[in-house]
Amino acid sequence: MADMTLEMVQASQAGMKALGAAIAVGATGIATGIAEMSIGSAAVGATAENKDIFGLALLFVVIPETIVIFGLVVALLLLF
Amino acid sequence: MAEKRTGLVPYEYVCTRLRVRKSKLLAREDYLRMLNMSIPEITRFIEETQYKKEIDELGTSFSGIDLLEIALSWNLAKEYQNIQKIAPGDLKRFTQSYLRRWDIQNVLTILRGKAQKIKSGKIKEILIPAGELDRVILDRLLKEESPERVVEALKGYSMYPVLSKWLESAIAEGSFAHMENALYRQFYSDLIEEAMSGFKGGRNYLDYIRLEIDMINIRNMFRLRADRIQQDAREMAIPGGTFGVDEFQRLVNREDHNEFIDAVKSRIKLRPLLDMLETLRQEKSLRETEIELIKFQIQEMESMSKRNPFSIHPILTYLEKKKYEIINLRALARGKESNLPTERIRGFLVI
Repeated sequence: MADMTLEMVQASQAGMKALGAAIAVGATGIATGIAEMSIGSAAVGATAENKDIFGLALLFVVIPETIVIFGLVVALLLLF
Repeated sequence: MAEKRTGLVPYEYVCTRLRVRKSKLLAREDYLRMLNMSIPEITRFIEETQYKKEIDELGTSFSGIDLLEIALSWNLAKEYQNIQKIAPGDLKRFTQSYLRRWDIQNVLTILRGKAQKIKSGKIKEILIPAGELDRVILDRLLKEESPERVVEALKGYSMYPVLSKWLESAIAEGSFAHMENALYRQFYSDLIEEAMSGFKGGRNYLDYIRLEIDMINIRNMFRLRADRIQQDAREMAIPGGTFGVDEFQRLVNREDHNEFIDAVKSRIKLRPLLDMLETLRQEKSLRETEIELIKFQIQEMESMSKRNPFSIHPILTYLEKKKYEIINLRALARGKESNLPTERIRGFLVI
């Protein structure tokens, strides 16, 4: 490590930041998917029986999107 | 118990669908309103609910109570068949096995009808093809001339061994009661076997089956005690629940009502059921007791389906509640047809 140049350290830091950002978006994306899987099936089931609740059901389905948005915000903070 | 999985299945989808359907069932207020209506008014009232299609379809061929009765049967059969179609994976397996009770009911209706030489058309009107035996198979059975031929036509089905074993004595006695008991005993033992076969959700299914067996046994105990018939009650007992067969007989034979309640309570662990049994300590009529027990069973099923929202429980709760809706509407219509007083009809409703 001692013979690393400044450019190499900076490049490594940039790489780590990019990796952190990728994990933040990727992991929250997966979490959102898992959460939406159940809510989505329930929402489709409820809408199949009562079409009037489509708007409300859609709202419930997108609530877990907040998780991936948090991930995205963290990623953006890391990168910029 | 190692669980076998049959893949990722959308339990949420079907459980939510049935929850929504359950919310569309007739409310207590609807029944109270219908108590003050005549049969044509009741028909019009339920035509505005989920029975519209059946009443419209049958309206040209039937009228009055016949229209109502047949429309209700058709609706129940259609609903149950539809649930079997939408239930996924293991839930489908459990739902189908649970609905086999309708096969027993249909086959016994056909056998009784054939033994009493009733016309096929008349028998057909009261069949509810909600189980494994669909309309086509039941039509084939109806074409058979004698009970023996009906039983032969069922070769290969799970109920065949019991039917063939009891048929001769049933015809000789002129009563299918023993056969009926044997069929239900086999039905519940098959359900327990299925629930314990290691499929996902089997534990929940087993919990419900045990509750149902207990409730049926308690109901039967009350009935036998009310009839005061000194006969062997053991064949009326369904094994697999809390009460053993000999214990069932002993409880039925208890002379004192309070002792009987205490003895039943000493074997029950479910706290709400203990409280409910306490209310039955004051001697009530058999009908009131039965309605109380049914209401309790439905309440308990509701709480089970809340505890396990994505399991077989919401499906079974809907199946049972739908069944009692049909039973209520029938009781209401028949009561009105016989000009029974409103209060009396109300006493027959599970609301």
